[in-house]
Amino acid sequence: MQSSNSANLNELDAIGVIPINKEWGIGVSGVENPSPFSRTNQILKRWRETKWSVDHERAALLTQAYKKYAGLSQQLKSASALAHILKNVTIRIYPDELIVGEIGAPAKAAPVYPEFSFGWVQQELKDNPFKDRPYTAHATSEETEKELLEIGDFWNGKTVEDEAISLFTEDQIKATHLGKAVFSLQLYLHGGIGHTHPNFKEVLNLGYGGLQEKIQQKYDACDNSLPDDIKKREFYQSQLIVIDGMIEYCNRYARLAMNEAKGATGERRKELVKIAEICSHIATGVPRSLWEAAQLMQFTYNLVMIESNGHSVSYGRMDQDLYPFYKKDLENGVAKEWQQEMLESLFLKWAEMCKLRDWGTVAVNGGHGMGGTTITIGGSQPDGSDATNDLSYMMVDAIVHTRLGEPWLAVRWHKNTPRNFKIKCANAIRVGFGRPKLFNDEVCIPSMARYGRSLEDAKNYGVVGCVEIDAPGKEYGWHDAAYFSMPKILELALNNGRCFECESVGKDLCPRYSICAAQGKRLGLETGSLAEFSSFDEVKAAYDRQMQYMCDLMVGAINATDIAHQRRRPLPGLSLLIEGCTEKGIDVSAGGAIYNYSGPQAVGVGTVADGLAAIKQLVFDEKKVTGKEFLTALLSNWEGYEWLHALVNSEKVHHYGNDDAYADELAVFGSDTYCKHVENRPTAHGGVFLPGVYSVTANVGLGLILWASPDGRKAQEPISDNCGAVHNKAGSHDVQGPTAMLKSVCKLDHERMGNGTLLNMKYSPTSVSGDSGRDNFIDMVDSYFSMGGLHCQFNILSKETLEDAYENPAEHENLLVRVAGYSAFFNDLSVPTKLDIMDRTELSFD
Amino acid sequence: MKKTGNSGVVFDIQKFTVHDGPGIRTNVFLKGCPLRCLWCSNPEGLKSKPQVGVYSKRCIGIDKCGLCLRVCPKAEEGALVIKDNRIDHINRNVCTSCLRCAEECPSQGTLKVWGREMSVSEVLEVVRADREFYEKSGGGITLSGGEVFLQTAFARELLEACKSEGINTCVESALHCDPNLLDIIYPQVDLVITDIKHMDSDVHKTLTGVGNTRILRNIMKTADMGLPLVIRVPVVAEHNNSEDNLRATAQFIATHLGNQVKQVQLLPYRELGLDKYEALGMTYPMADFTPPERSIWEENILHLLEIMQEYGIPAVAGTTKKYDI
Repeated sequence: MQSSNSANLNELDAIGVIPINKEWGIGVSGVENPSPFSRTNQILKRWRETKWSVDHERAALLTQAYKKYAGLSQQLKSASALAHILKNVTIRIYPDELIVGEIGAPAKAAPVYPEFSFGWVQQELKDNPFKDRPYTAHATSEETEKELLEIGDFWNGKTVEDEAISLFTEDQIKATHLGKAVFSLQLYLHGGIGHTHPNFKEVLNLGYGGLQEKIQQKYDACDNSLPDDIKKREFYQSQLIVIDGMIEYCNRYARLAMNEAKGATGERRKELVKIAEICSHIATGVPRSLWEAAQLMQFTYNLVMIESNGHSVSYGRMDQDLYPFYKKDLENGVAKEWQQEMLESLFLKWAEMCKLRDWGTVAVNGGHGMGGTTITIGGSQPDGSDATNDLSYMMVDAIVHTRLGEPWLAVRWHKNTPRNFKIKCANAIRVGFGRPKLFNDEVCIPSMARYGRSLEDAKNYGVVGCVEIDAPGKEYGWHDAAYFSMPKILELALNNGRCFECESVGKDLCPRYSICAAQGKRLGLETGSLAEFSSFDEVKAAYDRQMQYMCDLMVGAINATDIAHQRRRPLPGLSLLIEGCTEKGIDVSAGGAIYNYSGPQAVGVGTVADGLAAIKQLVFDEKKVTGKEFLTALLSNWEGYEWLHALVNSEKVHHYGNDDAYADELAVFGSDTYCKHVENRPTAHGGVFLPGVYSVTANVGLGLILWASPDGRKAQEPISDNCGAVHNKAGSHDVQGPTAMLKSVCKLDHERMGNGTLLNMKYSPTSVSGDSGRDNFIDMVDSYFSMGGLHCQFNILSKETLEDAYENPAEHENLLVRVAGYSAFFNDLSVPTKLDIMDRTELSFD
Repeated sequence: MKKTGNSGVVFDIQKFTVHDGPGIRTNVFLKGCPLRCLWCSNPEGLKSKPQVGVYSKRCIGIDKCGLCLRVCPKAEEGALVIKDNRIDHINRNVCTSCLRCAEECPSQGTLKVWGREMSVSEVLEVVRADREFYEKSGGGITLSGGEVFLQTAFARELLEACKSEGINTCVESALHCDPNLLDIIYPQVDLVITDIKHMDSDVHKTLTGVGNTRILRNIMKTADMGLPLVIRVPVVAEHNNSEDNLRATAQFIATHLGNQVKQVQLLPYRELGLDKYEALGMTYPMADFTPPERSIWEENILHLLEIMQEYGIPAVAGTTKKYDI
């Protein structure tokens, strides 16, 4: 069977601090004191007692700086404003913590970034205050409200969003959130881009002193008479301004720690003195220990987050990058227990970050955390041998011991991953808080290389955010550029390019009509109607043409947004941390990185597959209904066609997710058509487009604005999530269990979907209990990956638990669930998202 | 698909079962059983012929559909009983089990057919689909029931086909059958799962409808033929959970089965399958039985487990502990 790689637990009872086969229980994510370290539990207690809030100070300092430096170029103004914040924003050190540093706001308070988009902040403060939201609320002080309202006038017309919208064409507007929202771009219209790996490795090697020296040389080498060099000099100057601010930022924490030490006693006093020493040293110096390296990572991460609120800024292969420091510490006699405790303090720090999102986003996608703060561990070395080390195991333990929404943990899984490490991961997954998520090296590496990265960089991939694979420190991938509704394309293909609502359902029933820029107009192309098609090939041809048209509009709108970011919000801070920028003398926003991409996601592959399958089978193969009748059934939201609605949702019709070639081929057709019209098109910042197939929770929002669809969905129900099967209120379409689901998913071309694919699976605790449950779980993942799957993640929860949490939220404050690419507290989620999670098929092992 | 060779009546195929034999498996359930265990949770497996079960709540309404009534040849005689605009149940005295109502019914699971005649190649196609999972996990096919030995020729051909393709084979059976049938099936089998419900034949008869003499003899023959065995002992309060009975069971295993027993699994009674009884218009034989509190039966099982272990038997509670074959 698996004797060759089966675990020998007697020989290796612990690689880190905690035994490899330690079981933490199954489906028990919400416990009071998850860590063996009292420091961790103390910080967790403080974390729970702190409210989520909004803080105005960053916005106020930024506005001040923009006024003060009004005469500077956009590049220099951006840098000077960042340095101004780093030098002046209030800083704090919290009890017990070993790693210090904030993102320009107190713990669990969201800073505000008016330069990207500010209209919605103003509007919500007035009409729908953040503090009064039914979920994902943020407390706001009177001072914060006043300060934020005061700077509104200054930012009016000056934001990235303002410029982007001015660049959109009329047709593009019709398809965006200003129209029918066939695709949603709000993420990058409302905030920064993020979705990248800062080059932690270089910072750890050079320190800010070394970086300063490197850039100063570049600056000095510029010939001030050459036009190109003038631009480069401006760029290098902006970088030097940021470094100057950064060094002061570190030193400010050193001084604060020393000051606090004076008032402290005993062990804490010693710790604070040490923290002061560390902060002072790494302000310019190179770290000498794991603690110093961790602190330098923390400050560097903060620099990126103070500059821009793009989420999914990720940590890269931390077990690899930090291993030399860990090893040196061990040689110097530092106990593993201490390193573990310090890592946990670092992880907890990353759970303090908070992002303010607009209500429209939160309504369907709840959660306070920054999101996407992914650590990548495990995987292979360039020569194919296994890269797992002590820190890989210790980071899994740290995640289980902290058990908060962040950071996220991604494990690179490959054919030489040790069985012991798989056991460690399986035991963590069985706790039921959705981590770690698993990635398949054998698919990710070829996919990286397919889109132009060197083989060496492909082999060193890290995971950004949910599922986006990326070259750490070298890439600006715009990985979450848009969510695109494929079911809407199918609707246009069935209805001659017109929305169902505008056509005949009636505008009163359209949730977007009053604000839609496309009111009453044709949205797509004239490609015929289901009432007239004489063959299924005509349906497919119409889908292809509508897809091409809408992809053109989306690509154009993303590129317009890209240009607006370049012009209005250069990122001299991040440009320090992405390889290529300093070498080329070009800001990261304008194409400085070695690798550049834009990655928009297609949503609803299951909905499209089952919709096409139903039409093909019932209209053209079996001729049970005519195309005209089917179309009428859809327009009437299945009223009067209850039997057809039932039939389409029954096993008698082919469904994606059951290892059934009939429907699975249509899932491949549906998603390949999207990929074909997106992949390799040029981006404004100098790269190509990468298609992805996942939704996170966009399937809920895109479903809310979609009329009935032919997969048996009624108006407003969620469309299918990620790569998953359809689960309508009338029934879940994957009825053959997880192996069949996995085989269906593997028929999609994951390698082609270079921006990632995502598969959520939910299991009841009993289905993974015992040794056999654990081992079958591992073997199932191995099988899935050997068949070409890219990613999977798991919720281990009983439906009863979720239902109880739904009914009695107060009793489930700590219940963390895997939503899609991320985990969130169940109570933070919107009602539609909660229901969506509860409706996902619970796959049972027994 | 063209039907060749033997065919059998299958009432369910479940992929990704992990508790009936090693690894990730596909369970094929054959219809028809000679036993009538009081606690049976698969009443749809008892009769040999296909049956239709009715889940009234899922019916979308006769006014909106009514397809079942339109196709039923015995509709006028009242084969389908309607109540509150929904199909309520089937009058089994009139119904001829032609299955046409279920074939036409558009809604998922309102009229559920249990039992479908399938050829070996049809079943094999389903089983093969999960080959990748068997290879990684050491899994394969588990033939279960109903009773496998009521369809011996079909079972033999199916198991032989699986074995020839390198798919691990497991048979789960009550072993209430002609001992000669074992000789037909066992050459194609890697593991046998069976159960001992009571050591006293008379009591066994009241619990299952048949005595245990033939069963125990077949279990011994299985061990003698060198087949690895997993033995399940359902533990049902007030029925078979006395210490004496468990000691007798342990004694039997220790004395007669030698090293062939890889694991003995003590399984708690669970009230399962009630919906299926109702759908089939059957009465659950233990409807009047109130099981003890969880803490009580848990303690009972742990206690019986200790007794089993006194006899040197590899006994465990539940089905999730690994064993080597």
